[in-house]
Amino acid sequence: MDAHLPADSRTIAILRTSILWRSAFSVLAAAGVAALWMGVLPALPLWQKLLVSLLLAAASVLSGLAAFDLRSRRHRGRLLSLVLDYLSFVVCFVTLLNTGEVFIGIDNLADVFGGGIPYLGLALGGYLLGTLGDRFSQSPRMEIRLQQVSRYLILAGVVLFLWKVNVLGGLMHFALKAAQPTGLVALAGTVLFALAIWGMWREGTANALQAKVHHEQLLSGWLFLSPNLLGFLVFFAGPLLLSFYFSFTNSDAFNPPDWIGLENYAKILNIRFVLLSSPDQLAREVVDITIFDEVGRLRIGNGGLLFAAADKFFWLALRNTLTYALFAVPLSVIPALFLANILNSRLPGMKFFRAVYFIPSIAAIVGISLVWQWLYNATIGYINYFITLGVEGINTLFQAGLIDPKIRWVSDERTALLSVIIIAAWQTMGFNTVLFLAGLQNIPGELYEAATVDGAGPWAKFRRITIPMLAPSTFYVVSTTTIQAMQVFEQVFILMNPAEGPNNSTITLVLYLYRSGFINFKQGYASAIAWVLFIVIFGLTLIQFQRQRRSSIYEA
Amino acid sequence: MNRKIWMSVSLLVVMSLVLAACGTPATEAPPAPAATEAPAVAPTSEAPAPAMDVPLRWRTRPDNQEEIDVYSQISDQLDDQLEGITLTYEPGGTEGTNYQEQLRAEVAAGTAPDVFWIPGTDVADFGTRGLILNFADLASATDGFDAAAFYPGPMFHLSYNPETGASGADSGALWGLPRDVSTFALYLNLDLIEEAGAPDPRELAQEGKWDWDAFLDVAQKTRALGSDIYGYGASAWWGPYGVWLNAAGGGFFTPERDACALSTPESLAGLDFQRSLYQDFDVATPYGEDPEPPFRAGKVAMFQNGRWATPGVRTVTFNWDVVELPKGPQGTMGNWLFWGAYVINAKTEHPAEAWQLVQALTTAQTQGQVAALGANIPSRVSQEAFDAFLTFTPPANNQAFLNGLADNPATEGPLWAGSWPEYDKIMGPAIQAVLTGGLTVEEFGATICDQANKVFTQ
Repeated sequence: MDAHLPADSRTIAILRTSILWRSAFSVLAAAGVAALWMGVLPALPLWQKLLVSLLLAAASVLSGLAAFDLRSRRHRGRLLSLVLDYLSFVVCFVTLLNTGEVFIGIDNLADVFGGGIPYLGLALGGYLLGTLGDRFSQSPRMEIRLQQVSRYLILAGVVLFLWKVNVLGGLMHFALKAAQPTGLVALAGTVLFALAIWGMWREGTANALQAKVHHEQLLSGWLFLSPNLLGFLVFFAGPLLLSFYFSFTNSDAFNPPDWIGLENYAKILNIRFVLLSSPDQLAREVVDITIFDEVGRLRIGNGGLLFAAADKFFWLALRNTLTYALFAVPLSVIPALFLANILNSRLPGMKFFRAVYFIPSIAAIVGISLVWQWLYNATIGYINYFITLGVEGINTLFQAGLIDPKIRWVSDERTALLSVIIIAAWQTMGFNTVLFLAGLQNIPGELYEAATVDGAGPWAKFRRITIPMLAPSTFYVVSTTTIQAMQVFEQVFILMNPAEGPNNSTITLVLYLYRSGFINFKQGYASAIAWVLFIVIFGLTLIQFQRQRRSSIYEA
Repeated sequence: MNRKIWMSVSLLVVMSLVLAACGTPATEAPPAPAATEAPAVAPTSEAPAPAMDVPLRWRTRPDNQEEIDVYSQISDQLDDQLEGITLTYEPGGTEGTNYQEQLRAEVAAGTAPDVFWIPGTDVADFGTRGLILNFADLASATDGFDAAAFYPGPMFHLSYNPETGASGADSGALWGLPRDVSTFALYLNLDLIEEAGAPDPRELAQEGKWDWDAFLDVAQKTRALGSDIYGYGASAWWGPYGVWLNAAGGGFFTPERDACALSTPESLAGLDFQRSLYQDFDVATPYGEDPEPPFRAGKVAMFQNGRWATPGVRTVTFNWDVVELPKGPQGTMGNWLFWGAYVINAKTEHPAEAWQLVQALTTAQTQGQVAALGANIPSRVSQEAFDAFLTFTPPANNQAFLNGLADNPATEGPLWAGSWPEYDKIMGPAIQAVLTGGLTVEEFGATICDQANKVFTQ
């Protein structure tokens, strides 16, 4: 690649065409921007218009630059061309598939896939027969015969499978759907960009543009990264930025949103603290109840302090979420630490118990919540059943006169959140245990041996060696568990009926976000809640980072 | 060799699967009618387009596999009956899977079915957001269509025009046609009632003595059978608690449905009686926990639920029947007229065909097929429908449901002047707090409308 041979006539022709292609691309992209602002696609919302304009303008500038570089035989032109053509190819190809209804056809495939499985089995059988043939290296005739049979079986299996899943019908449907202007343009684009990529990628072009080894490595690296990177941009970073934009609008998901600035954030943060002349004074007497609702009150002597907010539910949700995290995190971290120490010992059956404790964290959360819903049932649930048995047993044995509490786990506002915390702690503990276990196994045994020689007991070793040496694991476990706790949703959503719980005792931030966005369809407002939640989680994580830096023995 | 072959075959299969994903559903459209057949519409001067069946998708929210089977069967029958239309039935999620939220999202994404069922409370939200089609013009151009054939309560809301505030045949609005109606009754565990020596509620109802006092008496007597036996059970949503408010002369909204009425003395009286069932007399299963499992386990004497619960109750092993709700201080049961409607997706490409389908789905014959399952009551007002409904036993006392319908029930209805989902989310947790002892009725009454009235101004 480094030996720069003179360009052959074919390469020169490709380079000339590429310069023209890049120039045309640049002009077309610029024309696209102009057309957008001259009234083409009038229904396009402003944010989409801005985004598309920005992308087209960038493509136009970069394509022009690439044309200039290619003319000067600079390698940067090749890099820019490949990036632009690759991205355009992906866009055209996805558009083509979408026009051909490939993506929504996945359901159809799911309907018929089962019927084709036996034939896939036939193909698999053929493959296994072929591998069996490899064992007859001493008998070439047998080997060849088995491999021939294998090929026919695989071929027959695949053909039958494709027939069974209606591949011909699929092809026909695809062709019919794609044969419309959008599909045809996308098809043409796919072919053109594929050709352009081939033209730039080939060795002759690379040599003519003085490609170095590191250029090829760079291109290969980005090419391998691109599926993940594009997925990240389209399915994560894109929606993230979009939700940030929506948080400044009144989007309802159905109509073009209007820009309302900071109104959503202002509503969330619009709160009042008002002194009350008596603890029972009504909120309407001290705040404008057309705007504010009472969130809570504090009794102070003969008076009190009222906390009112324009969005009562946000603050209730924040209170519940923080309370939940405050209890759920320690309850799923501290027991996990002790459990990991026990499971780290060399007692018989430890591997079995490691698996047992891990099971809840891999079980489906919906299933778990439904099982717990039955367990918590105040009338026929097992938890109350065993409490009743225990109370009766104690009363019978000791004449203690205990009263069966008949706890209404999920229907009493005093215990509803606790019920969710118990489930979360039970479910997360096993996963945290495994993380601690991994951390424990990384602690050098010499430290414990030295401590033993110095006369340290088990508690001293645990306190002075295990806990400090586990600091990185502890930091990771606490951080991730806290983030998880701040995003609690599924358990509450399934367990509680209604999900908000009695007197909103289990409404959490993500639940409220969901309710705002997908029940009340205030997606702009829901986006603002999401960003406030992000700031809260980010703040908590930052505090943990700083504390970890200060206390880490590794930093010391 | 094997690796190369395997790689090639795998690649081929993956590509083929991607292409196969474009395939049409297993139920292929039947071949186009022969050219000699009469066209479905009047011929125009232009050359006729090739006769192609219009594909329509429709969806309901079935509660169980039996309902899915019945609707699938109806879809097949209508597919044969409706010329030029090919139907695909899609059973939606059950009540717990956010059927309406999913539908809204699908409508926004342009992937929702052409025709779908929604509960009555959601009609305003779907209508005002432009998610469903106002097909008043199609209906008025249809010979023989008579909106008066359906219960007037649902039709009031289905023909409500939010721009003019008018309702009725000439309002210029028609959002859907009711699929069915339902109402509450009390499912009785007759074995428990007999064991407790309590009077039979069915006899009391016949004698006109089935009121709140009699109800409480039966509940207390059966509750006395054991610490795990309850006199009464109801689910935690607006329907069950609403009847107590209605029966006391109160309700959720003012008669104009544009302001909160939860704090009126009548509403609070109804709520207080219900609270006493949970807190003072301790006769009810804990509010907020599903009462159906204990009822089916034979531990609840009176279980308040709608007609939709009948198929499930039919599997219990004890003697059971139903009775209408007890009459409150105003002399009425305060029952609800529940309903849901078939509506047309605003983005459908085939509104005329969708309207044909909606009509076909609401004929007396189709409704009879669904009602035979036992889960609901036909939405057409006719003696023929009533007579047929009475034969769908058990329960033996099907008349209890018809009595509920005849007692001037409050119609389940959307909020045209506000947001029902938001109202529900303010009202529900607060009422639950009262019924579970976290809030007094006075505290509830003092603040609830301050919060709830905000949804009317938005």
